[in-house]
Order: sequence, then structure tokens, then C-alpha cells
Amino acid sequence: MIRINSNITFKMTGFRKLLMLFSGIFFVLVFYRFAVGLSITNLSDAWPWGLWTVIDVKLGIALAAGGFTTAGIYYVLGIKKIESVVKPAILTAWLGYCMVALGLLVDLGRWYGFWHPIVSWGHHSVMFELYMCVLLYTIVLTAEFAPIFFDGIGFKRTAKFFVGLTGFLVIAGIVLSTMHQSSLGSMYVLMAGRLDQLWWTMALPILYFSSAVAVGPAVVTCESALSGKTYNHEWDNEAMPFLAKWSGYVLSFYFVVRIIDLIVRGQLGRLFTTFDAQTFMCLLELIIGSVLPLFFFWSYNMSGKFMDKKMAVRNAIFIILGVVLNRTNVVITGMWKSAGTGYFPSTQEILITVGLTSFGILVYLFISENFGVFTPHGAEDEDVSVRSGVGASGVPTT
Amino acid sequence: MEKSNGKTGAVSRRTFLKGVTGAGLTGAAAALTGCKSTGKPAGGTGWTPQQYNVPENWPVQVRGRVPIDPENPSIVRDDKKCILCGQCIEACNKVQSVQGYYELPIKDDITCVNCGQCSLWCPTAAISERDDVDKVITALKDKNLHVIVQTAPATRVAVGEEFGLPPGSIIEGKMVAALKKMGFHGVFDTNFTADLTIMEEGTELVTRVKNALAGGHGGGEGGHHAPMALPQFTSCSPGWVKFCEYFYPDLLEHMSTCKSPQQMLGALAKTYYAKKKGIDPAKIVSVSIMPCTAKKFEAARPEMNSAGIKNGNAKMIDVDYALTTRELAKMMKIFRIDLTTLKDQHYDNIMGEGTGAAVIFGTTGGVMEAAIRSGYFLLTGQNPPELLFNLEPVRGLQGVKKASLNVPGVGELRVAISHGLGNARVLLDQLREDKKNHREPRFHFIEFMSCPGGCIGGGGQPRTALPPSDAVRQARLDSLYTMDAKMYKKRLSHENKEVQQIYTEFLGKPNSELAHQLLHTKYTDRGSQLTAKKKA
Amino acid sequence: MSKAVLVDVTKCYGCGACTVACKLWNGKEYDDAKKPTVGEKAQLTDINWTVVSKHKVTDASGKTVWRFAKKQCLHCEEPACASSCLVGALRKTEEGPVVYYPDLCVGCRYCMIACPFGIPKYEWDKSFPEVSKCQMCSSRLAKNEAPACVSVCPNGVMKFGDSEQILKEARATIASDKRYIKHIYGEKEAGGTAWMYISDQPFEKLGFKTAVKNQSLPEYTWKIINKIPAALVVWGGILTGVYMITNRRNAVKSSKNNENKGGKS
Ligand code: SF4
Ligand code: SF4
Ligand code: SF4
Ligand code: SF4
Repeated sequence: MIRINSNITFKMTGFRKLLMLFSGIFFVLVFYRFAVGLSITNLSDAWPWGLWTVIDVKLGIALAAGGFTTAGIYYVLGIKKIESVVKPAILTAWLGYCMVALGLLVDLGRWYGFWHPIVSWGHHSVMFELYMCVLLYTIVLTAEFAPIFFDGIGFKRTAKFFVGLTGFLVIAGIVLSTMHQSSLGSMYVLMAGRLDQLWWTMALPILYFSSAVAVGPAVVTCESALSGKTYNHEWDNEAMPFLAKWSGYVLSFYFVVRIIDLIVRGQLGRLFTTFDAQTFMCLLELIIGSVLPLFFFWSYNMSGKFMDKKMAVRNAIFIILGVVLNRTNVVITGMWKSAGTGYFPSTQEILITVGLTSFGILVYLFISENFGVFTPHGAEDEDVSVRSGVGASGVPTT
Repeated sequence: MEKSNGKTGAVSRRTFLKGVTGAGLTGAAAALTGCKSTGKPAGGTGWTPQQYNVPENWPVQVRGRVPIDPENPSIVRDDKKCILCGQCIEACNKVQSVQGYYELPIKDDITCVNCGQCSLWCPTAAISERDDVDKVITALKDKNLHVIVQTAPATRVAVGEEFGLPPGSIIEGKMVAALKKMGFHGVFDTNFTADLTIMEEGTELVTRVKNALAGGHGGGEGGHHAPMALPQFTSCSPGWVKFCEYFYPDLLEHMSTCKSPQQMLGALAKTYYAKKKGIDPAKIVSVSIMPCTAKKFEAARPEMNSAGIKNGNAKMIDVDYALTTRELAKMMKIFRIDLTTLKDQHYDNIMGEGTGAAVIFGTTGGVMEAAIRSGYFLLTGQNPPELLFNLEPVRGLQGVKKASLNVPGVGELRVAISHGLGNARVLLDQLREDKKNHREPRFHFIEFMSCPGGCIGGGGQPRTALPPSDAVRQARLDSLYTMDAKMYKKRLSHENKEVQQIYTEFLGKPNSELAHQLLHTKYTDRGSQLTAKKKA
Repeated sequence: MSKAVLVDVTKCYGCGACTVACKLWNGKEYDDAKKPTVGEKAQLTDINWTVVSKHKVTDASGKTVWRFAKKQCLHCEEPACASSCLVGALRKTEEGPVVYYPDLCVGCRYCMIACPFGIPKYEWDKSFPEVSKCQMCSSRLAKNEAPACVSVCPNGVMKFGDSEQILKEARATIASDKRYIKHIYGEKEAGGTAWMYISDQPFEKLGFKTAVKNQSLPEYTWKIINKIPAALVVWGGILTGVYMITNRRNAVKSSKNNENKGGKS
């Protein structure tokens, strides 16, 4: 147990020590990398993008989609029963985006020029749009997260000020997210003729966006299950089934678009007639990420049952794996043939990714333990006043 | 609400785009002026030679460079040192008439006669011989090997320049001493096989001439279907030989079948010498010091393994390493031998004797003069008159030289000499023309040397002031004639004792069966490797 | 007036003068052992802005012959790299070159992924790396001089001039000489490029990327990007609308639980 003052503490466990070790390695490596450049990676002219792009950036952003989806469901659609997940989701998203920003910084060859896009606009570039959206959205998330933070350290007024902005922030957040989640897909539209036809389509932005909207709540589900274990709070029997349903419907939409697109572009047949690394990975992605979770979802849905915890978490895991596979396939598998040579990340690359994730988890744990992120239904403490403050912006709390 | 929004969207799209672009421009402007300047574009920090820095793309005097295949056995180029001066093209095109004398696209070969003239002209020595010094040093260090060396005529009047001596310094004895000091087990003189070449080539010429006089075609002595065409071409300059194979393959029947002196000595070292000294030919490493880069190519020609075939190992080649004069100097310096301070020494026995006739092989006209001296003897059975020991018309640096002399019993013998391959074309095109029109041959014997001045101006010789000047060539050339006239005891190839000895003990007589096996060769039609230009 | 270069593959004998000129002019390093500029292993790299690649092909008579193809950035009319750059570090100039401004670059390497020809390379060994590619000697062009590589070629493999003129010449050459295949590489590829090639051998045999689409690539992206502003307004509007409705409903505090329509339309 580390005690900073009477309010702020941090419990130590073996697992956390391990995370700290990885984070330590991460920071050392990052400094080293900043000094010597990208030669520590296995990136090459044939593979300008690798592990960091897949995980630190593409996946990071997709998996942090829980923030804007839950915020949208809660504030815009006014579905109050998911309240318990909103704050943790925003926290995860905020952290996720901070990590993405850090990951991107590490990945940038001329990292010290990270601010150039602000003054020199490449407005034709999807990357520019992505940069700007991520930048603005991180600011928005910070503002959304601010009440929790200021409240935690006792600045109630400041907290209140930010609460007042909620409506605007939520809508801005959704718009920005829509743009950059889909931009992650649009980015690869430029790879026409090189990205394998199994993945290249003009519909990439739609696919990326819808899969993000589906995977966001799935991440929240898993997170809730995990943190429930750690903090002994209950499985929210109202919020979770709703999220499972949400993911199910959105994923169905995604899957239909994906399949229709494959059919229209005459690629579906190839999946079953040729066998190579590409078709294999694509099938794997489709089965794990869509077919299985959709099968479970619809079989439950048709029979009118709600998913229990086990089912919901299992489905969520499938969906997350599906997105992981999909992003990896677009960046790596689909580009394999046109790259001409292979790629496997170097140890340093892997350590940096692992370290970054470890660091993220540590910060998450620290914040959630000290800033009252998980406040189970009806739990009475001073945070409630802030949360009821949320009501001031229009959404009443229970 | 949604509908109206859609409309607003449609209307505002252009406005919005404009806004975005406008803001972008503002951002760019801000970037340019304030926060962030665009900086300089990449590149353009270096230079190119002045002739290329002209508006548009005007023709220039010298442009580009010669192509060199990375596999070229003779020359290599270090791009780091190339300044695109274009001198190599000048040498290759204007002097040697190789580059620019074939059509593009090329076929499956980068046309190069391996003469190395480009390496002499290249001001930064970007082009240089393929360096084999290390291999020779390694061989010298191996106690199991018997390393022998031969030195070409032209090396002894040039290697001194690498040690600060004036061009043409005669340094034969010191060079021999240096080679012995470096540990070569036998130091031989290519002059020995030059004399032998005269015997073989002279005999071949006599056969051709007699055949012509008899008005017939027929096999040579020994039953070989030796070519009988006149004029006969000399074959001791490998650059010239390859040039003929490339551009005049139709005239290859004129080429003497004799190997060059280098290859003759190589073949004899692993047969005659090995046998006499009781050395396993497989243990012999045969090195040659040549003024020439094409010698490296010649040594590597697949058919240059007669000793190997004779010894039952086709992989054994006659000459293992051909070093240039420059490489020899480098090697001496590696061994820290100051050539100038050494005491003169003599070449080793049985392949070390040479005559004045042999030493002038190193200059243009020299082979011809030597051949005439002994040819006279072979035709008449008498030694030539005094006049033939100072045959002025065949000497000197004029590009094409012609001479004729009366040989008793034969009549008028007409000869021609050219050096520098550009000059060769004059005689070759004329011959082609004559043959097409069924004219009598104008000459009986033509000496072709690839390099200007002959071997003394070879591509492997010490680099001189730029461009390689005739003054230097003249100095080296004068020295060879001095050696012929004043220093060598004998001036007739057929009087070489060791040559006489090898015929009695080993070869039998000139152009014998064994001589053909070891000392003669065949040529390759390379006409299909390029598309020669019709007429430049 | 936009400039162009026409490369006639049949005239190249592989001397590599062009590659040296490029290195001289642009101050690039040499590494013959690992990064050769001429031959079968020659490849564009951070230090090789141009290479002459050697290819063994079959000629009309069925004989194996060699061809040398001088490669460098093709300088697209609508460059994917420039369109992909988030800071505008890559720019198409009026004279034709696509130029790189290292001071702006942040090193995201999207341009490398974006280029359909795989041209931009990266200085992987450097601490502060730059993207590396042929600049078409933009500073020479500004002085009306031909690119360095063009001006040193002994065989006139490359012709430099106004793009229309160059294209006309290319068409005339392949029309008048039946050895040439009837294709001008770069005329249509990726929407057209400033460097164009003619050859007597199929381009795929000379290591050219022939799968490149004829459509300009930035157009694909632009089709999406240009919808963004509208989408932004519409989507923002819808969200605000729904948000307000939801809030009003809550304000009315209907005793019933709020029933929501599918929000994601
Ligand atoms: S002579 Fe030498 S420096 Fe000049 S172009 Fe030729 S190789 Fe380059
Ligand atoms: S690597 Fe540099 S030049 Fe390339 S897109 Fe990124 S910022 Fe632009
Ligand atoms: S145009 Fe200039 S930068 Fe481009 S390859 Fe030629 S010399 Fe190099
Ligand atoms: S300079 Fe000309 S001939 Fe030489 S390699 Fe380059 S394009 Fe080919």
C-alpha cells in the first residue's frame, strides 16, 4: 500500500508490481527510442507501420469507443439504466486516448514536431482529420472527466462548471468520434490496389465506425466484469444486458454491410475457394468477431432472454477479438503481399506496447481507486451531490 | 428537424469547405510567417560538374560515363569517387571506338574490351583495375605453394614512375630484385615467351604466306586446319582480340592462333617448368605482371587452361593472377620495398632469357619489327640485314603505320601497324571492303595493339598527367628501343638460347602438335552479344 | 508550365551516371555493398533516390537480353503522398516536382503507406529521420535546368520538357517504332505522372508496379473527406435534436419510463 496522503492511496499487489516493472521499462525504452530513432524497431521501407500502429493507435482508439457510445446512450438517448457504466467508460476512454497520444508520439519519427499539424494544415489528409479529432476529442474527454477529477481533489465548484458543459461536450464528443473512428478506416482507402481486396473497400469508414460503436460497449462490459471482481461491486443487471443488446444490433449492421460489400466486390467466393494466409485470417476474423457473437446474440434475443453475465462477457470478448483481428488484418495481413517481405515486431517494439498498456492500467487503477469512479447504485457519499449535479444539465439522476 | 438539417447541410457544404480551406490557408500562412516556417525543401545541397549546369538540356561536349559490369574481370569503379567528368567516355569512345559503336538497346552483355584506358583517363581513379594484390600476397604466404611470376616488357620502363622516377626509367634488374625479395619462387621474363611467340607466329605467317604463294588453301603443318587467310593479325593484345571478336568476328580467320606471351608462359610453367623442376603443377601459382587490365580478362577466358587439360584437371588455369604494373607498385609498397635502392638481379633460368626483339613487344610496331627480323630468317634461312634492326617506318606514335620490304625469294612483304582501337577500324574496314570486292590483300601481316602506344601505354600502367600524354608514351617507348639496341646481347628471337632449348627438349619444333596444344588458341564470335553500328 | 521527363528504357546501358549525379547533387551517401544503385539488387532507399535496376528479359527473337530501368519518384499529377501528409510537408509544385519539406514533417510515415509506387523511403537509422525521395531536382527546375540525372545521361535515355510536348513525343515514338509496346507508363497510372516510360518490354517485367489504378488515389479519399463537413453538420444537428427531445421529455418528467426510438438513424 502506497499512501500519498489520507485520501490518496494505492494498493500494491504482485500483479501491480509487474505492471510497474513494465511501465518502468517502457519509460526507459521511450527515452532511448527518442534518442536513437526508430532503428530499435523492425520497421522498414516495406513496413513503415507495424505493431505500434495496430495496437497503440488503431486498436487503442477503437477500444476506447466505449466513452462516446455510452455517453451517447446515456445523455443523448437518455437511457438512464446504464448510468453505472458511464463514468468508468469515460475514464477508460480518456485514458485510452491519452495512451494513444503517447503511443503516437513514440511512433512519430520526428516526435518533437508533434505540434506541427496545428500550425501547418494538411487539410487533404485523413491523417490530419484524425489528428485534429483525436486532439479535440482528448480535450473533450478531459473536460468530461474533469468533474470526477476536481471532485476527487475537492474542487467542487470547478467540477460543477464542467458538469454544466456536459451536453455540449457529449455531442461534440460523438461528432468528433464519428469522424475519426471512420477516418481510421478511410486512411486505408488510399491503399487501393495494395490492400488485399478482402479488406479494401470504399465502405471502410462505415465498417470502422460501426465496429467501433459495437466494440465500445463490449469493452465496457469486460471492464465492468473485471473491476467488479477487483472492487467487489455488483454486476449491473440492467445496464449490462442493454449494452450486450446494443453491441448485438450494431454488430449485426456491421456484419451485413461487410458481407454485402464482399459480395458486391465479388470477394466472398474467394474466402471459400482459395486457401491462403489472407483468406484464413479473414475467415478467422469473421467467425470469431461476427458469426459467433451474432449467433449467441440472436439465439438469446429470439428466445426473448436476457444475457446473463457469463454470456454477455463471452460475447464481448468475441467482439473485441474480432476488432483486434480486423485491425491487425488491415494493417498487416492485408498488406503482406504488396509489401513483398514479412514483418514481425522487435522485442523493443513489443516491450513498449506492453509497457504502455501496463502504464495505462496502472493509471486506471489509481484513478478509479481514488476518485470514486465506481459508485454502485444508491451508495451514499459526497460524490452524489456532483452526480446529482449532472441532473442540472438536464439528465436527472436516480 | 432532420429534413431541414439535411438542407442546411447541402447549402452549407460549399461554404463549409470554403471555410475549411480558408482556415487551412490561414494556418499555412501562419505557419509560413510565424510559428512554423516551411523550411527548405530536401535535396539540392550538392553539386554537379559545370557542363551540366545549363538551362534546359543543351548538348554538351562530355556527358556521362562508360557502363561497367560489376562482374567485369578487369576493371571496377567506385561510385564515391566518380565526378561524372566524362573522361572515361572520351577514352572509350574517341580512342578505343567501343562505347557508342553499338546500337541500343544492348543485348546480354555490357560491351567492354577490358583495355582499361578509361582507368588511365579517370582523374580520380574511380575506375581502377580489379585488385588482386591480396590474393597474391596470400598465395605467397602459403608455404605449400610454389609461386612464380612473369613480367611483361613494358613494365620495366614504367614501374619506376610509381617511385618518383621519370617516365621511361629502365628498372628491369631492380624490379627482378624486388620480386625476389617479395618471395616469388621463380621470377621469369615474358620476353622469353615473346621470343617464343615470334617463333610460333612467324612460322604461322610463313605458312600462310607460302600457302598464298602456292595459290592454294590447305591445312597447316601438323594437320591442323589452321586458318590460311592473309593478312595475318597479331594476337598478343587481349583487348584487341576481344574487340575483333565483338566488332569484326567475320575477320577472325585472320587472327594468328598464337596465344599471347603471358598465356604461353602460363601454360609452360605448369607443364615444361613443372616437369623440369619436378614440381606438382597443382602447387604452382602463376602470377603475371602486366601493363594491361585486359590480361586479367584473358587469363580468365575459359579456354585458357591448356596446362590444366594436359595435366588432367580442366579447372586448373594457366595464369592464376594477372596484376597490373600499378598493382605491382602497390605490392612493393605493402612490402615496404623501395625499388630505387635495390641491386639489380637477373631473371631465373629456363624461362628468363629474352632478346631485344622481345622487349620491343612493349611498344607499337615492336611485334612487327621482331617478327620481321625472325621472319626474314625463317623465310630465307639468313639473318636479316642491318637495316631491319632499325626499322623506322614501323616505329613511333603515328596511329596507322605501313611498311614494305623485299624478302629474297618471296618478294614484297607488306605490313601495317595500328595502335589504339579507333585506328584499328581504319585497317579493318578497309580489309572488309577489299574482301567484299575480292581484292588482293593489301598486307601480309598487321600488328594491332589495343592501347595507344602499345603496351607501354596500357591500361594497367602508372597513371600519368591527364590526359595520358604522348610525351610519356614516347619516353617509355624510347627506353624499350634503347634496351633493344644497347642493353640486350641478342636482338633476334630465334637466337634465344632458352627458346632453342625448349624446342629441342619439349616442344619439338614451331607449330608442332604440342605447341598447338599449349601455345595456340581459338577465338569466340561475340557478334551476337551486341549490335554493332553499321558504320560510325 | 508543368515539366515532365520521358524515359526510354531501350536506350539505357546501365552506366549509373544518373544515380551518381543524383547523389552528387543531393549530397546523398554511397553504400555499394548494402544499397547498390545499379544492378539486379538495386533498390530505392533513403540514400538512393534513383536506381537503375537490371532485368533479364526475352527479346523478340527469344534470346535473353538485359534491360535497365531508371527508377525514381514518378511525381504524380495528383500525388497520394502529398494528399496524405497531415502537415503538408509534401507538396506538388507548379513545375511538376513533388517536393518534401523536412522541417514540417512529423514522421508519421503515412506518405510511405499512401504512395501507390512505394517511393518514399525512410532514414530508419537516424535519430531524427526524414522521409527520402527524389525531388525532381526542384531547385534546378526553378532555374530552368534539367534534373541532374537527366542532364548527365550519355545516351539521352531521358527527355525533359513541357509535359504536353513530352507526352506527344512519347506517343509519336511508340506509334512510329513497332518495337515499343503500346503503353506509356505514367500517362494514366495513378491519374498521370510527370515521369513517363516507354519500353520494348512489358513493364511488369521491368519491376514496375502495374497493378496501380488509373484513377488518382487522392480522389478516393477526397470522395470521403469532402462529405465530412456536411456529415458533421447533419450529424451534429440530429444529435442536438435528439438530445433536446430527450431532455424535454425528462423535464416533463413523465411518470412512465422513457421509451426510446432507435437513436442511431
Ligand atoms: S572518368 Fe572516372 S570520374 Fe570521370 S566519369 Fe568516368 S568514371 Fe567518373
Ligand atoms: S511522414 Fe512526414 S511527409 Fe510523410 S505524411 Fe507524415 S508528416 Fe507528411
Ligand atoms: S530528378 Fe534529381 S532528385 Fe530525382 S532522381 Fe533525378 S537527380 Fe535525383
Ligand atoms: S545515365 Fe542514362 S544510360 Fe546511364 S544508367 Fe542512367 S539512364 Fe542509363
